[in-house]
Amino acid sequence: MLNRIYDWIDDRIDITPIWRDIADHEVPEHVNPAYHFSAFVYCFGGLTFFITVIQVLSGMFLTMYYVPDIVNAWNSVYYLQNDVAAGMIVRGMHHWGASLVVVMMFLHTLRVFFTGAYKSPRELNWVVGVLLFMVMLGLAFTGYLLPWDMKALFATNVGLDIAESVPFIGEWIKTLLAGDAEIVGAQTLTRFFAIHVFFLPAALFVLMGIHFILIRRQGISGPL
Amino acid sequence: MSNKVTRRQFLNYSLMGVGSFMAAGMILPMGRFALDPLFQTDAEGDEIVTSVKVSEITEEPEKVDFTFTQQDAWYESEVTNFAWVYKDGDKLVGLSPVCKHLGCTVTWAGDDNNPDMFFCPCHNGLYTKDGNNVPGTPPRGPLDEFEVGEKDGYITIGKKKENTLV
Amino acid sequence: MKRGKGLKFVGDSRIQSYEKPKLNRDYSEFPGRTEEFYPDFLLKEWLTGAVFLVGFLCLIVADPAPLERMADATDTGYIPLPDWYFLFLYQILKYSYASGPFNVVGAIIIPGLAMGALLLMPWLDTSKHRNWKKRPVAASLMIVSVAIIFYATWESVAYHDWEQQAEQGKIVFSNLDSDDPVFNELIRTNCTSCHGGELTGASGPDLVTPDLDEGTVKAFVENGTETMPAFKDTLTEDEIDEISQFIANLELTDKKNADNTGEK
Repeated sequence: MLNRIYDWIDDRIDITPIWRDIADHEVPEHVNPAYHFSAFVYCFGGLTFFITVIQVLSGMFLTMYYVPDIVNAWNSVYYLQNDVAAGMIVRGMHHWGASLVVVMMFLHTLRVFFTGAYKSPRELNWVVGVLLFMVMLGLAFTGYLLPWDMKALFATNVGLDIAESVPFIGEWIKTLLAGDAEIVGAQTLTRFFAIHVFFLPAALFVLMGIHFILIRRQGISGPL
Repeated sequence: MSNKVTRRQFLNYSLMGVGSFMAAGMILPMGRFALDPLFQTDAEGDEIVTSVKVSEITEEPEKVDFTFTQQDAWYESEVTNFAWVYKDGDKLVGLSPVCKHLGCTVTWAGDDNNPDMFFCPCHNGLYTKDGNNVPGTPPRGPLDEFEVGEKDGYITIGKKKENTLV
Repeated sequence: MKRGKGLKFVGDSRIQSYEKPKLNRDYSEFPGRTEEFYPDFLLKEWLTGAVFLVGFLCLIVADPAPLERMADATDTGYIPLPDWYFLFLYQILKYSYASGPFNVVGAIIIPGLAMGALLLMPWLDTSKHRNWKKRPVAASLMIVSVAIIFYATWESVAYHDWEQQAEQGKIVFSNLDSDDPVFNELIRTNCTSCHGGELTGASGPDLVTPDLDEGTVKAFVENGTETMPAFKDTLTEDEIDEISQFIANLELTDKKNADNTGEK
């Protein structure tokens, strides 16, 4: 039955090559930990992707309860953490996932660096990767403010002061990020929310798409 | 076709198993989190004392306002509703003003042609004094009833329940 | 796009129809034992992922995500700390050559150069070798950078007062009324910088939880201690009485009856 449905769809829109492209390739010996245990360093990229998926999912679920508003933000986080079943776990996933994604990305970058995998012809994918790194740090920074607790507010103050110290355009950057030249408050929270939930994830998805397409086009780098 | 499981099939089944495990590990907590409103038990409110004296109530349904604190997750607010209260002999009767058709608010004697009935202006729904819906008009059932009591001479409004008078 | 009589299409679409199943791509460029990605290798990856997920869930259950009390911009006693992966940047900004007049060095130039160098790595490290042992300059620069990040993070962690950190952000529900004039005019200016914005303790002790009587508080405010200044000369007798009374009245409450947080 399932096979017949598959065939019916495949006859019309030819989906076999699509998944074949993703699934049908050989994995060389030098990246397979079954043959050389040291090849486990090649799993950091995959784990980064896995945590990113967890982050996206848990983030989607958190917005069911969260409100980006200075009066209610903290109360809604307190509510979802203490009064909603599994709230502690879902928020924990998002909180610790943020830390782990940074760790895994850092390790992945080091692996690519020390195996020289960024060299010709893979320069562009390295650049995309570094951009992904920056987007992730941006997500970490903007997400930090959202619970609107003491730590969030004061750490963001420091971050905004750092942005302000950029020569010439620093004050504009700070005002644009905070929504106000002086106050870190209502507008800062909504801006950070928009950046954290819409702008940066959009950039993240585009860059991840490019990252993966380039890996499949160019193949994995050879053994050292 | 042989019944033996080929290597490829075995790997496929293992993949499905491990994949389901990972999906479950992620989705179960998030699913429970999202479904939480279904499992929330309502903290049913106590008797609310109103500012209307029992002695003011007659046989004619009277609008009695009652105010209570509503805890909506993290948002606490004062909500004011009202009930239609009248005396049926010595018994106090309180009816919910929410029409059982589509939730409009019914009025007593709102229709000039039916002075002894509750009337819903939205779709011309009619109820008799005990809250029973008049056949042939849109409502699908009788009006809900409130538990009505007395405390120090004032009307109290309790839980909402299904109409017991009809 | 390929055209020609030999090609067959699905209906009148542009999708080619195949007679034979599509063949695997040739990955023979790498010598050695290769393995199919699907399903052989993917299964190993997913097993790794499953083990990782179990560990991750254990971490979440063992160490719940922290939440401090609601943000209060007027609480100037609070010492901010960034998330741990920005700690090294935070530490670098403490060094004298990266602060004061050189703040721009620590805040912008060093991180900017590091990120720029990382971005342009393929064009900075032009050696043909891929093995890191054969490109000593690039590899040692990277090792030094990583070492600096590790060291600065460690230094920041080692010299931070974590007890105070936990104390100053603790969620406490109390009957402290932040609209009270005694709190706004006397306590905010004299006490909160040490005892925390809600008097629940920071570098100085918690004043809400212990059951203090007015006389004790008064004695402390008048005479001070080794670490706390005496206020006998700076405040009037009446002011000290008001403060003592206010503080002696403080007690913990549950969330519902709290005056210190919530929609105010």
